[in-house]
Amino acid sequence: MSEFSTEEMTLNMGPQHPSTHGVLRFIIRADGEVMREAIPDVGYLHRSIEKIAEKVGYHGFMPYTDRVDYVCAMFTNQGWGMACEKLAGIEVPKRGEYCRVIAAEFNRLASHLLSVGTMAMDIGANTPFTHALREREMINDLIEELCGARLTFNYMRIGGVAWDLPPGYREKALAYLEHLEPILDEYDSLISFNKIYVKRLANIGIISAEEAINFNLVGPNLRASGVKWDIRKDIPYSVYNDFEFEVPVGKGEWGTVGDSMDRYMVRMRELRESCKILRQALTKIPDGAVLAKVPRNFKPPAGECQIRIESGRGDMGWYAVSDGTGYPWRVHVRTGSFAAMGIINKLSRGLMIADLVTLIASLDVIAPEIDR
Amino acid sequence: MQQWVDSLIAAGKFGPNPPRDLIYALFILVFSAIVFLGVAFPFAGIVSWAERRVWARIQSRVGPNRVGPNGVLQWLADGVKNVCKEDVVPTLADARLFKLAPYLVVLAFVVPWAVMPFSSDLILADLNVGILFMTAVTALTVVGVLMAGWSSNDKWSLIGGVRSAAQIVSYEIPAGLSIFPIVLMTGTLSMQGIIRAQGWAPYDWFAFANPFTFVAANILFISLLAEGNRTPFDLPEADSELVAGFATEYSGMRYLFFFMAEWGNLFILGAIITTLFLGGWQFPHVTDDRVIMNVLQLLIFNVKVLFLVFLSMWIRATLPRVRIDQLMSLCWKYFIPISFVDMIGAAVWVAIWPNGNPAVGYVMLALFCALLILFIRRVIYYFRRAKMELYLSPVV
Amino acid sequence: MGAVGSYFADIKDAVTSIFEGMAVTASHFMRKPYTVQYPDRMPVRVQDTLPFRYRGILEVDMEICTGCLACERACPIDCIAIAVEKDKQTKQMIVSQFDIDIAKCMYCGLCSEPCPTGSIHHTTEFEGADFSLESLIRRFIKEPVAAYKPKKGPETDPRIVPILNRGMTYVDEWAQPGGTKPAADDEETE
Repeated sequence: MSEFSTEEMTLNMGPQHPSTHGVLRFIIRADGEVMREAIPDVGYLHRSIEKIAEKVGYHGFMPYTDRVDYVCAMFTNQGWGMACEKLAGIEVPKRGEYCRVIAAEFNRLASHLLSVGTMAMDIGANTPFTHALREREMINDLIEELCGARLTFNYMRIGGVAWDLPPGYREKALAYLEHLEPILDEYDSLISFNKIYVKRLANIGIISAEEAINFNLVGPNLRASGVKWDIRKDIPYSVYNDFEFEVPVGKGEWGTVGDSMDRYMVRMRELRESCKILRQALTKIPDGAVLAKVPRNFKPPAGECQIRIESGRGDMGWYAVSDGTGYPWRVHVRTGSFAAMGIINKLSRGLMIADLVTLIASLDVIAPEIDR
Repeated sequence: MQQWVDSLIAAGKFGPNPPRDLIYALFILVFSAIVFLGVAFPFAGIVSWAERRVWARIQSRVGPNRVGPNGVLQWLADGVKNVCKEDVVPTLADARLFKLAPYLVVLAFVVPWAVMPFSSDLILADLNVGILFMTAVTALTVVGVLMAGWSSNDKWSLIGGVRSAAQIVSYEIPAGLSIFPIVLMTGTLSMQGIIRAQGWAPYDWFAFANPFTFVAANILFISLLAEGNRTPFDLPEADSELVAGFATEYSGMRYLFFFMAEWGNLFILGAIITTLFLGGWQFPHVTDDRVIMNVLQLLIFNVKVLFLVFLSMWIRATLPRVRIDQLMSLCWKYFIPISFVDMIGAAVWVAIWPNGNPAVGYVMLALFCALLILFIRRVIYYFRRAKMELYLSPVV
Repeated sequence: MGAVGSYFADIKDAVTSIFEGMAVTASHFMRKPYTVQYPDRMPVRVQDTLPFRYRGILEVDMEICTGCLACERACPIDCIAIAVEKDKQTKQMIVSQFDIDIAKCMYCGLCSEPCPTGSIHHTTEFEGADFSLESLIRRFIKEPVAAYKPKKGPETDPRIVPILNRGMTYVDEWAQPGGTKPAADDEETE
């Protein structure tokens, strides 16, 4: 068997591909079905968003932050809002913070649903994808009532949020959560416990805890490797201290700790935790204002600030430098998907080409977030 | 059909001394054209519409419903659109093989219709090696798929074609082995012979005759799914990995030929399983009129085959695909040993009870009905849990 | 016994989990689809079912536009072009050009937020596709008009009252900074 000489071929899993999540390119060196190397080639979606911030100013940059990660637009909005508030020392009223948390957790639900659905689709089943999108449509309907848009929300402003909760919103949102939880059990029966999924996902792309920390992975990818790190609990921001929720960590019950199945299960469990947070937020929300007084010509004092929030992909970092004028000097976003690209080459040695697709899907890579 | 033509010649319809071979050839041409063009190809088209509707309902959406009443003519629209497309042959591709490959695949799908037992009299050619002919010809797809993969001059197509060849060739073995229990029990390979050995009632079908044939039925179903490149074994056309596998470089009508062959194969899959295990066209003898009996038998045959087609569409919508090495290990490590054990068990069974054991038939049928009732209860459980009122948009 | 046991356990797992999965999809087969068959098989127009806050295509009610240029300043991509000048004789602001390029607009809502009367607002229209690029520049002024001067007391002109009411309802939906508005959703139901 070792005498059998084979040739390697170089494949191009090109920018146009049905299952790289966005516009990504991989240069794969494969020996038959088994890969020796998979080099990611990023940059197809670079839109110079960070540079645009220097032209449009602080208020005007808020809609652009939606486009950094369109699946988690509320989190990017919140990150930019918090960065500006920290620069200028503005405090957001309590009700505004609660509105932010509600919007953000709905967005986390939507983002994880999309991730689970597209992972199922990449593995071959098309039904869970449409079911997940159907649930996501209902969340989109709820958010549309709240802020008027379904994908690029532009809901938050510097100092709070732009709209208060409309009348009757709480009942609708709670009814939706009632509806969602049996559906999550259905996903479990359809996806998580299905033998074929387990065989496709377990023991693929195992990332140990030190590797995850060394490669800068964040969010569900990091937690699946056993590291219990969630910005909402460890560096609490906004009003997350008021809520009781667990941080799911990968346990490796289907394979090893840190394999693709763990990443998937962490996301499924986070869906349920987000439901818990939402219920608490919707019932405990106080009265008051939702927006602080912020001048139209927003000129924060010169300085820099750094914000970390827990977005759908993980620890998202916002760094803003102000020079005293109405336009920021430099804005930088640090996203979880960019770090995840770095580990793909290392993990894909010895995997099959079909597993590369599973790996990218389980790392929940969103292309616009990589290139901004 | 040969007896019918012989009876016509004997009755003197063609004159006193007709050239037999010419008459046979004429009848074969005419009736093959009727069956192939009138039944096989439209079926492949309609089942594409049916598959899209079934998929869509399982996925909570609607599916094509605009073209024609309820969208029934969607496949015609697709066909016309594809015929109007530009015929792209890549420059570096081997043009002759590239153009020939779809036709080989279609050949593999069309030819088995010649031995399809639609009813007790409606069969084009009642070969006495009918079932062997069917399984042998469906394996011709390997040649077409390999040709498509290689001649496209594209690494992704090559991977898809080679995967498909490995898959089809491997799964021929459990398929063939699963046919053996039936052959042992009836002693004949001819399609009509096998059907005549069964009765019309479910407990007379071979699927429930003994536990070994039940297992053989399941293994045959799964192997035929694998041979037809259906999910969960649709790696050669894995849409999320290799764009379209061996058919990546194809466009227009050539592309559609591959898929027409895949959908048409569904009917052949259904026909093989119906003939061998589900009693074929057997219908209770309600009337002596031959024509009415034939019509009823045709109907019941189609009902059984279409149910199996629906089952394979349902499975396609539910299950993800297995990886190539898992597919191979499934075949060689699980299906082949099980079918060997099956074959031996069926041989022992036939040695002990040469004429079958009706009591076991009743017991097996009862067990199967219990399983079915359990299934329906699970379905109702999921249906009730879903809180339907929240599903429907306020606008609908 | 471990290998043989796991062999049969594998088979059993596969069969039971596929059974469950097929039950779920069979139950879906029985349910009504979620699709809304837009645009022809719907009882009402979609635009009428969208919420009030929906950020569709922009529209300007020139009767109540004050010519303050707050929207033009707020737009991050400069898709609003307004020409306002003070007429020397009548001392009124004359608005001679108000163009919105809806091809450039990113429907963010930053322009309608600072409008004092709600004259620039988002509608629930979203069907803007057209054959020519010029039609995507919406020109709201045919000939120069005087800008609206908001009165100290309630508005008296009967032509403008309904427009102003609608505009102020739109403006009131936005969050008031500092918070004088009570919470809207606690005791009221829809």
